[in-house]
Amino acid sequence: MMTTTSAPALQHLYWRAGFGPRPQEVAAGLSPRRALRQLLHDSQTYEPLPSPLLAGPEIDEKRRADLTPELRKARNQQRQQQFQQLSLSWMTRMAASPAQLREKMTLFWHGHFACRGNDAAAALSLNNTLRRLALGKFPDLLLAVSREPAMLQFLNNQQNKKAHPNENFARELMELFTLGRGHYTEPDVKEAARAFTGWAYSRGADGTDGGFVFRAREHDNGPKTFLGQTGSFGGEDVLRIILAQPAAATFLVTKIYRFFVNDAAAPDPARIATLATSFRASGYDLSRLLEDIFSADWFYDPANQGTHIKSPVELVAGLRRGLALRFEQELPLLNYQKALGQTLFQPPNVAGWPGGRNWIDSSSLLLRLQLPATLLQKAAFDVQLKEDENDLKPQMDAADRTQAATRLGTHLPLAPLQALLDLTPTDAQPLALSHFLLQSPIRPENLVLVQTAASRETTPEGRLRTTLLSLLSLPEYQLA
Amino acid sequence: MQRRSFLQTSALASSLLLVPKFLHALDRSPSLGSLRDARGRRLIVVQLSGGNDGLNTLVPYRNDLYYQARPTLALKPTDGLLPLSEELALHPAMTRLKQLHDQGQLAVLNSVGYPNPDRSHFRAMDIWQTGSGAGQTLSTGWLGRYLDGSAAGLPYPEALEVDDTLSLALKGQNRKGLALRNPSKFHQLTQNRLLSQLSREGLGAGHQHEAPADYLYQTLAETASAADYLYDKAKIYKSATSYPQSAFGRSLKTTAELINSGVESRVYYTALGGFDTHVRQHEQQARLLADLSDSLGALADDLRQAGNWNDTVVLIFSEFGRRVAQNASNGTDHGTANGVLLLGGALKKAGVLNPAPNLADLDADGDLRHQIDFRGIYAPLLKDWLGADDTTILGRDFEAMRGLV
Repeated sequence: MMTTTSAPALQHLYWRAGFGPRPQEVAAGLSPRRALRQLLHDSQTYEPLPSPLLAGPEIDEKRRADLTPELRKARNQQRQQQFQQLSLSWMTRMAASPAQLREKMTLFWHGHFACRGNDAAAALSLNNTLRRLALGKFPDLLLAVSREPAMLQFLNNQQNKKAHPNENFARELMELFTLGRGHYTEPDVKEAARAFTGWAYSRGADGTDGGFVFRAREHDNGPKTFLGQTGSFGGEDVLRIILAQPAAATFLVTKIYRFFVNDAAAPDPARIATLATSFRASGYDLSRLLEDIFSADWFYDPANQGTHIKSPVELVAGLRRGLALRFEQELPLLNYQKALGQTLFQPPNVAGWPGGRNWIDSSSLLLRLQLPATLLQKAAFDVQLKEDENDLKPQMDAADRTQAATRLGTHLPLAPLQALLDLTPTDAQPLALSHFLLQSPIRPENLVLVQTAASRETTPEGRLRTTLLSLLSLPEYQLA
Repeated sequence: MQRRSFLQTSALASSLLLVPKFLHALDRSPSLGSLRDARGRRLIVVQLSGGNDGLNTLVPYRNDLYYQARPTLALKPTDGLLPLSEELALHPAMTRLKQLHDQGQLAVLNSVGYPNPDRSHFRAMDIWQTGSGAGQTLSTGWLGRYLDGSAAGLPYPEALEVDDTLSLALKGQNRKGLALRNPSKFHQLTQNRLLSQLSREGLGAGHQHEAPADYLYQTLAETASAADYLYDKAKIYKSATSYPQSAFGRSLKTTAELINSGVESRVYYTALGGFDTHVRQHEQQARLLADLSDSLGALADDLRQAGNWNDTVVLIFSEFGRRVAQNASNGTDHGTANGVLLLGGALKKAGVLNPAPNLADLDADGDLRHQIDFRGIYAPLLKDWLGADDTTILGRDFEAMRGLV
């Protein structure tokens, strides 16, 4: 039974540092401080996301125009399935992994270092690099990402050569990855681009992206003046000079704060400044920064609780984790997320998912509120998805894109919830369950709605299921 | 237990109906507040997804370079091309648009694009939908920013997308369009018992208007009220016009029914997909362009007979054109600049408005150079047609194609 006064704070921590609380964690009733230590401990191990299904029939990576229509179709289907497997495997891990903080931080970096491509192996490699270095030192992460084939391809550094510099990577590096606008000039972009000339990747024998290569012949060895310093800089020098700017720590801390603490209100500049100063002093130690945030009193301020609109990925992962849901057929989960506006490995652009109120419009809100009924009650999810324009999917007709009444085969174990409510009288169970599921106090009128719906049921199990479904269908469940 | 007793036991049933009309107190960006005056005009946007091949839509049928670049894919006059000018002819399947052209109700803008064109579907579509430049990322759509400046407290949604999910083009910072495949399906979605109760709840006691929970309740209330409005309105007019039996035909029929029913929304958005014709282009593009032309022809008839065609402009665009040269699979790969079409009963300029694409002056990759920035077309649609502040919405003053609409 949830009577400890720290339960809301504890749940807040689990929602922000991971993908939400499980009943047994709330029942265990650790102090937030101890729970944080446990989360940090459990996230120390790095386990790469496996690639069991990346193997497939080998299709030569010829120029697209040279492929026969049949081969082209087969290749597209293979790629589509690979990306589906990647997404599902990551989503399962978000819901189930003990390394909650590492997976949550990987999701943060997935939006920060937003990248799209057609090569699933390259996408997986980048994703595992994000996961491996998610909680380490930011300079290591930044360098590793800058050398990932997926990123070199996406931001055109493969084409960045001494004779024809391509500025795409250099620009996004500063604008979106490290400094933000206003902290560099157009000449800085041009000079940084020169420093990254020759950073490329090789093609593997099987046609997929190989590893990073430095092509000395394509590299511009000449002197460059970048952010006020002059030298024959290479890419590593540019990264070092960027990270010597105080603006880098401020930029990163602000973005991390918005993701983990509050994206609805402007952060207090003094608070950001304090965090940024120690972040920089620690050599950009991400674990320490997160520990600073999650152990600060202000993190548990009621103004920061229940104010985050869950991303579609967080929404689904939270439902799976909190209710220990299992599905016989997981593929429809990808369609729900797409209908709600978030497809893993397909950020809308290089700036990632904007988040917050951007997730919400009339139709996405209706779908969100009906998602629990779809997952738990096999309610119809009658949505025609927009056509995929990323060239991965062969043309689909309308019927294929309509997700009417897809069967997930959901298993919902009630025992953990029953255990949580064990000592709670029947009449008080809706309120008690609301404490577990909602991060803000339930409105009295909504409690009446929920109680009334439950009272129509004749069995304890029916009451619990109905109470659960009603609470999950409230707008407040969209918030963490 | 029955619905009636549920309502009786609910303490909310009566009080919720008396929630003050908080919709009127919604925040609006003051800077854009009173700048717009659409005077009953409306804009319909038709997005051709996948990259429509402009050179086989608006065919330069007297240009040898076109025939050289496309040995098997070029369309010849003997294929039934529909000439618009000395230089350009419509694809043979587009007979209805040819008729509209002959009535002075079609405008053709050639070589529309932007500097440093992107050949990726999703990025190019992102650019067209947000109205950004190639080196810029925006998280709001160009029509969404138009909505940000819309008047407060309207009982109807300012922009509608005829689909199940909403495109970025219609998402603003504070205001968003509403997506619906049809009014009755959308209305039904809001009729779930719990939802209909929740949608009558107002802002929480003691909450700030900015609180995320209030934002959700506010959106829900607006959604339910819009669903009611559209459902009631849409009963007024049922189209007797014959549309193609296609998803796109149904979308335009729904659009016409909403308009002819007196729905006051200013912007309608719909898409026709499948234009990514890397292989065996002829058959697929012919089918799509016939659907496009026939559906738009039916829309024009439908709106005209109800007296709404003169207040309507239709913008038809695709995220990019295709390469000048065909590929080895009787298809075309991703290209750059493309033709844009405008339709309407009262266009100020009609016909082919600028020179056909210059096939003798291609860029370094052998693709078309753009002559008109697409935002230079958005600008007059926003300013001259919808009465909005185009420079605020587009970020700067584009050398607009003045006098178009």
